Amino acid sequence: MSDSPITIAIDAMGGDNAPGEIVAGALDAVAELGVRVELYGQLEAILEHVPGGIAPPDLEVIDCREVVAMDDEPAAAVRRKKDSSVVRCAQAVREGRAEVMISAGNTGAAMAAALLRMGRIPGIARPAIAVPVPVPGHHPQVLIDAGATVDAAPEWLVQFARMGREYARARWRIEQPSIGLLSNGEEEGKGDELRKTVFDLLRKEAGFVGNVEASDFMQPNRADVIVTDGFTGNVALKALESALRSLAGLVFHTLESTEEARAASRVVLPLLLEAAEAYDPDLTGGAVLLGVKGMCVISHGSSSSRAIVSAARVARECVRADVVQRLRETVSHAG
Amino acid sequence: MPAETHVEQGPLGPDEILGLIRERLSEILEIDETTITREATFADDLGADSLALIELVEALEEDIGERTVGFTVDDEDLADLHTVGDAVDYVVARLGQPG
Repeated sequence: MSDSPITIAIDAMGGDNAPGEIVAGALDAVAELGVRVELYGQLEAILEHVPGGIAPPDLEVIDCREVVAMDDEPAAAVRRKKDSSVVRCAQAVREGRAEVMISAGNTGAAMAAALLRMGRIPGIARPAIAVPVPVPGHHPQVLIDAGATVDAAPEWLVQFARMGREYARARWRIEQPSIGLLSNGEEEGKGDELRKTVFDLLRKEAGFVGNVEASDFMQPNRADVIVTDGFTGNVALKALESALRSLAGLVFHTLESTEEARAASRVVLPLLLEAAEAYDPDLTGGAVLLGVKGMCVISHGSSSSRAIVSAARVARECVRADVVQRLRETVSHAG
Repeated sequence: MPAETHVEQGPLGPDEILGLIRERLSEILEIDETTITREATFADDLGADSLALIELVEALEEDIGERTVGFTVDDEDLADLHTVGDAVDYVVARLGQPG
């Protein structure tokens, strides 16, 4: 792929902090990353957050009147609200106006919009969300599916594993990523019926290392790709995020608890803050939706402007790594 | 009111609609077309969830819309479509053709 500027369609109306933080992030992405941005949403609401009300040359504001709310039923909303920011973003990718879309809004709606507007890659029954899970001193693990397909058939999990494997190759240049199946025990035979069936299907997949447990997250050399259904994956991800937040809170609280601790914190706090950046969801970038014929980055619901810049960085990396084409060439023809 | 048909391409018949549904559904569900019979139920026999049905509806609106201006499916009607045959009959009725 060339290094020419890519165009990113950003859903300005999606997320708890929309449109202010999304607009700020889009402006920063244009300035810091040299990308073009098409910002979709309600014109007057967007321009309120653009300094002087005039967008820079590489940021185009595209007015759309409808908004998909966080509590809208995703697929129905995507069908009904064709002039919504998230649907127009997906349409922009379909039409080739943009190479990739970013949304921090209703995840189900972003998934449905991408699926219905861009279409599925042949051979992939359902898309899946791939999330990089940080591993200290190591490349991230790929958790797939983190919430796109809650009720998954066994064959779909095999497809998720293949997509996760190719994604790990494309993003982190891992030659032969190892694949673990998330279960409630390492031994073969552990898990519910879905897990047992998937285990048998995955036996012949290159890189399959068997079952892994939730305690294998963030551990090096256990599995580069951890595959599961969207329900379990989402629960695991939220538990991990919450545990990390609680741990960080405990550390910072302890460093404020006594005079000696406060003295120590003056030395260790800058180091801790720097180290903690590896775990900051605003800095690690967005999750990607794999399995559709276009690139879609999903940023978390409470995204700040920094999160949008990180998502744009991931988007640019995925376009440059030609992730969609790699999936089409490898996963859709896999046996 | 029946949707307007493009005269030069002729109206779609029930067999053609069944063929279209089978083709699109086999792509969406990644299953063999031969398993998609008129009697097959979307949920139990074919494993089609609500998202798959919406994918089918979008595909049909696009395919049929190329020949018949203004062809749409009401989302509220989806709950009444249990079998492939129900869908064929529904499309036939929407197009204002004899079943």
